[in-house]
Amino acid sequence: MVETLLTESNAASHLEARGVHVWFGQRQVLQDVNLVFPSNQVTALIGPSGCGKSTFIRTLNRMHELIPGAGFAGQILLDGKDIYEDGTDAVDVRLRVGMVFQKPNPFPTMSIRENVLAGLRLTGKKNPNMDELVETSLRRASIWNEVKDRLNDPALSLSGGQQQRLCIARSLAMDPAVLLMDEPCSALDPGSTRRVEETIEELADQMTIVIVTHNMQQAQRVSHQTAFFLSEDGNPGGVVEFGTTEQVFNQPVDPRTNDYVNGHFG
Amino acid sequence: MTATQVQTSTMKPTNPWAKRNKARTRDVVIASLLPGILAVVFFFVGTALGATIDPAVLLIIGFLPAQLLAAFLVGRKYYGRHGREDALLIVVTIFLSTFVMVLLLSVLWSVISAGALALRPSFILQNSHYISGTTSLEYGGAGHAILGTVMAVAITTILTVPLGFGIAVYLTETGGKARGVIRTLIQAMSGLPSVVSGLFIYSILVLQGWQPSGFTGSLALLPLMLPTVSRVSEEALRLVPVDLRNGALALGSPTWQAFAKVVFPAARSGLLTAVLLGVARIVGETAPLVLTTTYNNDTNLNPFNGPMAMLPTFIFGYIRNMYDTSIQRGWGGCLVIMILVGVLFVGARVANRKKK
Ligand SMILES: Nc1ncnc2c1ncn2[C@@H]1O[C@H](COP(=O)(O)OP(=O)(O)O)[C@@H](O)[C@H]1O
Ligand SMILES: [Mg+2]
Repeated sequence: MVETLLTESNAASHLEARGVHVWFGQRQVLQDVNLVFPSNQVTALIGPSGCGKSTFIRTLNRMHELIPGAGFAGQILLDGKDIYEDGTDAVDVRLRVGMVFQKPNPFPTMSIRENVLAGLRLTGKKNPNMDELVETSLRRASIWNEVKDRLNDPALSLSGGQQQRLCIARSLAMDPAVLLMDEPCSALDPGSTRRVEETIEELADQMTIVIVTHNMQQAQRVSHQTAFFLSEDGNPGGVVEFGTTEQVFNQPVDPRTNDYVNGHFG
Repeated sequence: MTATQVQTSTMKPTNPWAKRNKARTRDVVIASLLPGILAVVFFFVGTALGATIDPAVLLIIGFLPAQLLAAFLVGRKYYGRHGREDALLIVVTIFLSTFVMVLLLSVLWSVISAGALALRPSFILQNSHYISGTTSLEYGGAGHAILGTVMAVAITTILTVPLGFGIAVYLTETGGKARGVIRTLIQAMSGLPSVVSGLFIYSILVLQGWQPSGFTGSLALLPLMLPTVSRVSEEALRLVPVDLRNGALALGSPTWQAFAKVVFPAARSGLLTAVLLGVARIVGETAPLVLTTTYNNDTNLNPFNGPMAMLPTFIFGYIRNMYDTSIQRGWGGCLVIMILVGVLFVGARVANRKKK
C-alpha cells in the first residue's frame, strides 16, 4: 500500500468507531461513542465546547496517544481493521488518515512549495512529478491561483485563510483516504471559509471526511450526516444524536439536540 | 461620490494625537532637569565652601529622591493617579538602566583603554618565547594563547554541543523516566565552582599520569559549558509550538523526522544562542586551566601533547608579575578575549541570517 500511495489514488475508506471511551489521567471525557463514517461521506461533529469533539477526532488517527496521560478503550475500524490492534503502526494510520488543525500550522522554515511536499520529505517518499503534485494539491485546496507565482515565498507570508488552505493542500499531497478537520474555519474570514467548504464538497468524491464545526450553517451546507456530542454537568461526553444532517437539524429525536441546533444553549 | 471627493480634497492631514500641551511640556522639562541641576550646583557650591561631598551619596540621598518627587508631582498634576505611578516607574527604570549601562561601559572602557596599549600586530601574531616580565611591549605577543583558546574551546564545543542538545531533546521530546533526575543534575552542575571542575580533571587524569595539555583543559571546561548549552537549548525547543510537531506527525511522519525536519529548524536560532552562550561561559575561565593545561610561552599546535597557552592563563601569568609591561600584556589579553567573543557572536548571527 505504501509504495502505491502516491501514484494511484487511495480509495476512500470506511471508518467506524465502536464503543469508544477516552480518559485524560483518571478523568473520563468520552463515554461509549459509536459512529459510522461511510466512504465518500462528509460527517459533521457538533456540540458545545469541551464536550470532547477534538478529543474524539484525535482518536481517529491516533494523535490522541501523544498527549501525556491519555487513555483509550474501544475500537476504530479503518476498512474493517482496528487501528489500535497490536502491531499496527500509528505512522501507517496517519498516512491514510490525514488531519487539518484548528489553527493553521504551516511549517515556518519552509516555503509554500516545500510545505506541500513536506509530507513526502518527512516520510522519505519519492514522487517523480513533484511539480505536478504541488499544482494538483494546491488546486484541490483551491489556493493555486493565489500562490502559483510565489511558490518559493515563505509559508508565513500568506494570510491566515491562505495558510489554512495550504495546510489542507499539504494533507492532500499525501493522498489520504480519510481527512479529519477540527474546526478548520474557526480562524478564517468568510471568503476563505466559503472556499474551504467548496473544497470539502469536491474532496468528498475522493475521500471520507470528518469535520468538527461550531457553525450550524456550515454543518448543514457541507455534511451528509451529523453527530451531536454533549457532556452534561461534568459527566463524560457522548453522542446524543446521530443521523443524516437533514434529520438531525430538522427532525431531531432528542429535545437537547433541538435546543442546541436552534441556538438555545452552548 | 463626487460630493465626498470635493470634501476630502479640501481636508488637510493633521496629527491630532500629537498636539502638545505647552504648559505640560514646560513642566515635564523642568521636572526632568531641575533636580539634576540643583544636585550639580549643590555639589560645586558645597565643595567650594570646603565641605567634602561624596558624589555617590549625593546621587542616592539627594538627587534620586528629588527626581522622584518632581516626577510624582508633575505626573499627578497632569494625569492624576495613574500618572503619578507611571512617573515614579519611569524614573526608577531610567535610573536603574543608566546604572547598569554605566557599569557595563566602564568595564568595557577600562579593558579597551588599558588593553589598547599592548595591542598591535605583533601582539596577535607572535608568541611569548624569550619574553620576560620586563621585555618591552614591542616584542612578543599572545598569538600562541589565541590559538590555544580557539583550539581548546573548539574541542569543548564539539564535545559539549551534541551532549547538550541530546539532553535538551531528551528533556523536551521524550517522556523518559529519568527527566527529573537529569534536570536536577544539570541544575546542580550549573552551580559547580569552576575550580572544582579543574581539580576533578586534575585528580582523575593528570594525577593518573596524563600530561596537562589542551585536551585535558577542554575536558575541564566541559562541565561548565554543558549546563548552559542544555538549559538554553531546552528553552529554545520548548518554544516551538506543539502544533508544528503535531502537524508533521499527522502527515505520517516518524517522530525522529518530525524533530529533525520541523522542530529543529524552527528552533535553530535559539539553539545557536545556546551554543554562543556556552562559548561565552567558558572562554574566559581561568581556574580550571591552571592545573590542567598549565602554562606555555611557545606555540603548541597539538592539543593532545603537552602544556598549551590559553588566553586566561596568559593573562593570569602576566598579571602575577608586578612589572608594568607585564600587567599591560595581561590587559592586552583581556581585550583580545573580548574581541574574539565579539567577532564570534556577530559572525554567527550574520551566518544565521544569511541562511534564512
Ligand atoms: N490535553 C488534555 N489534558 C487533559 N484534559 C484535556 C486535554 N484536552 C482536552 N481535555 C479535556 O477534555 C474535554 C474535552 O475537550 P475537547 O475535546 O478539546 O473539547 P471540544 O473540542 O469539544 O471543545 C474537556 O473537558 C477538556 O478539559
Ligand atoms: Mg475542540
